[in-house]
Amino acid sequence: MADLQTAKIVGTPALEGTYIAEMDIWPLECPEFNRNYQFYDNLREGRFTTTRCKKCGHTAFPPGVICPRCWSEELEWVDLPQRAKVVTFTETQAGAPLGFPLPLIMAWLNFGKDSPIKHLLGRIINCAEGELKDDDEVRLVVFEVPSHPIEVKRETKVCDRVFYAFERVK
Amino acid sequence: MARKAVIVGGGVTKFGVREATIFDLFQEAAKACSDDIPALKPSDVDGLIVCTTMAGRHSSALNTAPLVAHRLGIKPTSICIRLDTLCAGSNSGIIVAKGLVESGIAEVIMVTGAEKVYMPQRWETNYTQLATNDHDWDSAMGLGVPPPFFAMIAKMHMKRYGTTKEQMAHVSVANYNYGSTNPKAHFHPKTLTMEEALSARLIAAPFGLYDCCPLSDGGSAVIISSAERARELSDRPLVYIRGTGQHATHSMSAGWPGETLAEWPHLKRAAEVAYKNARVSPRDIDVAQTHDCFTISEIIEVEELGFCKKGEGGAYVASGAINIDGERPTNTDGGLLSHGHPFGASGARQSLELCKQLQGRAINQVKGAKIALTHNLSGTCAQHTVVIYGTEPVK
Repeated sequence: MADLQTAKIVGTPALEGTYIAEMDIWPLECPEFNRNYQFYDNLREGRFTTTRCKKCGHTAFPPGVICPRCWSEELEWVDLPQRAKVVTFTETQAGAPLGFPLPLIMAWLNFGKDSPIKHLLGRIINCAEGELKDDDEVRLVVFEVPSHPIEVKRETKVCDRVFYAFERVK
Repeated sequence: MARKAVIVGGGVTKFGVREATIFDLFQEAAKACSDDIPALKPSDVDGLIVCTTMAGRHSSALNTAPLVAHRLGIKPTSICIRLDTLCAGSNSGIIVAKGLVESGIAEVIMVTGAEKVYMPQRWETNYTQLATNDHDWDSAMGLGVPPPFFAMIAKMHMKRYGTTKEQMAHVSVANYNYGSTNPKAHFHPKTLTMEEALSARLIAAPFGLYDCCPLSDGGSAVIISSAERARELSDRPLVYIRGTGQHATHSMSAGWPGETLAEWPHLKRAAEVAYKNARVSPRDIDVAQTHDCFTISEIIEVEELGFCKKGEGGAYVASGAINIDGERPTNTDGGLLSHGHPFGASGARQSLELCKQLQGRAINQVKGAKIALTHNLSGTCAQHTVVIYGTEPVK
């Protein structure tokens, strides 16, 4: 009969202090991992952009490396409207995923008839519960989100990141 | 006559918060399947389709199909694959199995689904759901668990068509009362009254507790075979897979195909394809299993499936049409609302109920049922899957 070797350890100490990309709530945005890194570089400059096909003129969202209508690779970056109207919305008071502070407000946004992208789901920040109403106008907000490390040869490089949400135009 | 695929029978595990690994659940489902088809031996099964979404994340089991085959003592020779279309997993598997059986590539396929949703710490389940939407875009907006998104759908349907909370409660009352008779259901033996449904605690306005299906651990398995092999495996009446349709239009909020969230043209399209292949019309459906992840889902589904006019789903469910004595009993085993929802297992669970209905052996039996329809939506209402069964093959 083998002896039991005891070890009073809770959790996964092997992973303590490590970055786990598969558990990350934000995208990998850097050029080493994402061919659409330009979207995030544009966000940093306050631009909300996507890719448009030079061949057929189709504007896709999210941006990509081919046109989903004609499969052309000849794409260009174009600006999208930064203001939208709230069609309907929802306020979460409990059970939001870790990393999203309460109240978590999400809205179904209409970008208007001239926008190539009619609807998007958007998180509404800087807004108290009960403040948002249907038909309110919202605008783009860009903010920094946690950086992550990547291994480049034997060095660790830190990749800074940004993301976006919307806030009420008062 | 060309080869025809049939559903022979199957089994489901107890759904709920289960003290089990995902492999325990796959084994339990296979055992329940063999109890239902006593002549079936592991060596009869030449194809295995394993449907799961959470395995790999919640159970560190990538390349799942060979692991499941080993645990079930099945040594497939025609197909052994894992399939993931989230909530539509095993209904997608049934579509694939029909094609493989009718083309002659396979003879007897087990389509099985299971999920281990609940983790040692509860936060992980909600967190994992960020990976089931379009992670880098919609999930990064906070879209994880489904209630907020479907709450917006409900608000929009109420605004455009005048649907009420009372009409929504008719769905939960009907489905809980069906589920109260089904020992495998997550919430068995709970019954529900209109008063309880309407006074339940709020989850995400306008949804109360009973408007939302639970997440469940659980598994299911069905056997799809040629009609010839089915006659050797069982004496029960044959149940043919008459027609199928699956339609995906988008995976992200940017691609929503409807005029508003209250219109689901992608379901209408999937249903049109299935009706055409099955050579039936909505009027012919005697019993249905629709994806009642929320009460509003069933209301919109009966509209888009053509059981009533667009916008009249609320009145349709409130009229009693979905009840056992109604014109088209729906979710007769409790549906997602009461039976529960282990994503990859739900489609086979629904299909087994319809198999029993058409063989005349369901707990809540619809008298003389001949044509039946099952439907799943999956993702954030991004894809729709419809399968139609009948006691006669398409001629």
